[in-house]
Amino acid sequence: MIAAIDTGKLFELVWASALAGVAVAICFSLVIIGAARAEDCRRNRRSGSATAYATLSVLAGLAFLGIAVFGITVITAK
Amino acid sequence: MGSGDVILVIVVVTALAFDFTNGFHDTANAIATSVSTRAMSPRFAVAMSAVLNFAGAFISLKVAATVGSGIVDSGAVTTTVVFAGLVGAIAWNIATWWAGLPSSSSHALIGGLIGSAFAADGASVINVDGIIETVLVPAAVAPLLAFSVAAMAIFIIYRLVGNLRPGPVNHGYRLGQIVTGSMFSLAHGTNDAQKTMGIITLALIAHGNLPSDSFDVPFWVIASSATAIALGTYIGGWRIIRTMGSKIIKMDPAQGFATQGAGAAVVLTASHLGFPLSTTHVISGGVMGAGAAKRLSAVRWGVAGNIAIAWVLTLPAAAIIGALVYGFTSLFGSGAVGPLVVVIVLLGLLVAALARRFVANHQVAPAR
Repeated sequence: MIAAIDTGKLFELVWASALAGVAVAICFSLVIIGAARAEDCRRNRRSGSATAYATLSVLAGLAFLGIAVFGITVITAK
Repeated sequence: MGSGDVILVIVVVTALAFDFTNGFHDTANAIATSVSTRAMSPRFAVAMSAVLNFAGAFISLKVAATVGSGIVDSGAVTTTVVFAGLVGAIAWNIATWWAGLPSSSSHALIGGLIGSAFAADGASVINVDGIIETVLVPAAVAPLLAFSVAAMAIFIIYRLVGNLRPGPVNHGYRLGQIVTGSMFSLAHGTNDAQKTMGIITLALIAHGNLPSDSFDVPFWVIASSATAIALGTYIGGWRIIRTMGSKIIKMDPAQGFATQGAGAAVVLTASHLGFPLSTTHVISGGVMGAGAAKRLSAVRWGVAGNIAIAWVLTLPAAAIIGALVYGFTSLFGSGAVGPLVVVIVLLGLLVAALARRFVANHQVAPAR
């Protein structure tokens, strides 16, 4: 029964899925944190912090979209 | 047109009918969380999912090859065996849809095929190693993996955004769900439409239309399978959407996002590696993981238990139906008469069920 299981492939499935799922969650959460904090700072007239948080939000958003595009690329590269 | 050609046409049409049931049965996987958190309107979610399922079906063929070649000996597969297996899968899909239970269409298909091949040629044609590798191991791994990934994701999300105002956070994750829902629909298309492609290709090989030493899926098979699953997705399966979207846990947008993100990550990775994972198992596991990470009691474990029972029963139940259908068709010999009689009986049952429903919906309440 063990011989029938490709443990290498199975292990790859586990770590790659976990990495992708967690990376997606972190990146998108940073988008939301950056956007929410930037808004708060703007309201309190702290323009320096607002810009920094907005930059964080944009970079995290690009990373999030990058992961999505990477996922599609991996699938299409057969 | 000879008898063999008639059976082949019946098999292709039945396979596309299965693909259609797969679409409306598994629509819930892709969109239930988006609908229940109000990230998308039901109509938009279903339309988007249908388009992406269609597109996803063209992307990869790895799973099609696995389904077509790894379960039963290809030499033992006849068009009648494939037909009986498909009927077993369709029957189980409709039964679980009726009960509102999200079961695996993939396992129903594989179970039906195993049952009909067993009835035709005995246990020797069943590829036990193939079943362990491509069905049983993924069936055990998929829900646990999705549960863990979704739980980790929601755990991290709550720690990162827990002290922010809920309004922008919920709005943000609803927007995020459009991306993760799209990814999951695409993943569903890459994974599930291929199973029908694999089955049709198997029938074409059995009939001698394609060489048996390679596994090349013709373009018309890809296009018709993509169309059938997209149509089924568009028509939708609202019974299962209710179970998946609100009966297992009461979901907030962050949980919906974590579930879909984890589900898409698991299914896309599995599709890339050639594992025929059940998207139903993945998303159900993800929903439970996202709920349990917030609070164990947030998950309605009774509903989860019913779903788990349906999962366990799917393969043997579809196998039994597949075997019975094969036995019934063989009563009429090896020609096209048996499959034609089964199709006529099934269409009759379908019309009777629809008529009963129509009458129930249009019954006038008695005057007091």
